[in-house]
Amino acid sequence: MSEQLVAVLDWIAILCLLFGAALCLLAGIGLIRFPDLLARMHTAAKPQVLGLLLVLVGIGIRMIPVETSVFNIGTLFLVGLFQVVTIPVAGHIAARVAYRTGRIRSDLLVKDELAERLRASGRNPSQENPQR
Amino acid sequence: MKVPERPSRLRAARNRLGKVQFSVAVGMTLVWMLLFNGFQLRPESLGLLVLGFLVAVVIMLLFPMPPIDPGFRFRPIALVRMVAYILAKMVVASFSVIRQIFTSGEVHSSVMAVKLRTQSDLMLVCTAIASSIIPGTVIVEVGRDEWILYVHVLGADDEESIEQSRLDILELERQIVLALGTGKDVAALAGPAPTGEESP
Repeated sequence: MSEQLVAVLDWIAILCLLFGAALCLLAGIGLIRFPDLLARMHTAAKPQVLGLLLVLVGIGIRMIPVETSVFNIGTLFLVGLFQVVTIPVAGHIAARVAYRTGRIRSDLLVKDELAERLRASGRNPSQENPQR
Repeated sequence: MKVPERPSRLRAARNRLGKVQFSVAVGMTLVWMLLFNGFQLRPESLGLLVLGFLVAVVIMLLFPMPPIDPGFRFRPIALVRMVAYILAKMVVASFSVIRQIFTSGEVHSSVMAVKLRTQSDLMLVCTAIASSIIPGTVIVEVGRDEWILYVHVLGADDEESIEQSRLDILELERQIVLALGTGKDVAALAGPAPTGEESP
């Protein structure tokens, strides 16, 4: 592989890594900045996914010129795949528990069709008092 | 009870074997090959393939799972299009969430019900996962009986943006069904588009 191509690949990889890291940092800022749990879930789970994928792509590009036998692009692909498949499960459980125990600020919700539905079926989330 | 023991055990073994699903075994073998770098052609690649398949079968014998009902189809072109669509959505939505981080004032959002057009567990799960991956939407609750996803949308503070994100999720469902759904699911897509206003 020519020197120039390696240099170009290096630069692309560096950009991917930096951008991915920046997205993770922004996710951290959003975590402090947003008011309630449901809004925080958006930053805790999301820009991180894109950030992580970019970091993985960066590592993958860096590894093209290098010959390794243990750690390869397949491993990176698996990391990405399982991250993408498992993050929504954790996020959903956290959001659901927070909603059901009333630990969200409903004054920030413009429209809440789930509350309407729960009220219609006789289960009001605000009546299930949040026990600390 | 000594006599019927043998046949019942035989039947149990056959039941167990019936739980092995070929497509799931292939998927697990693929993961196995990726883990052990099996796609780099080496002398032991074929051995890895066989061993991986055997491990997959043993796993399904030990931990039998209900079959994926009603199954799925792979459509490669639509699959590529779906992945591209989700990636593009992720980038765009990431920036809109970042913009919301830096706008002053409290962020308002809404929880809305999205009624899916298809009635398949797998499509429901895939749509839920995809919309959780895309920033700005979190699944709060799933009404499985009515095929409704309750989605928390960040920054949706008027009717227009709520309706827009409802359409986004339905479009996501369409992409996924076109890529993975059975013929019945694809046919269900053409059905009447739910307005969402109807009460479940």
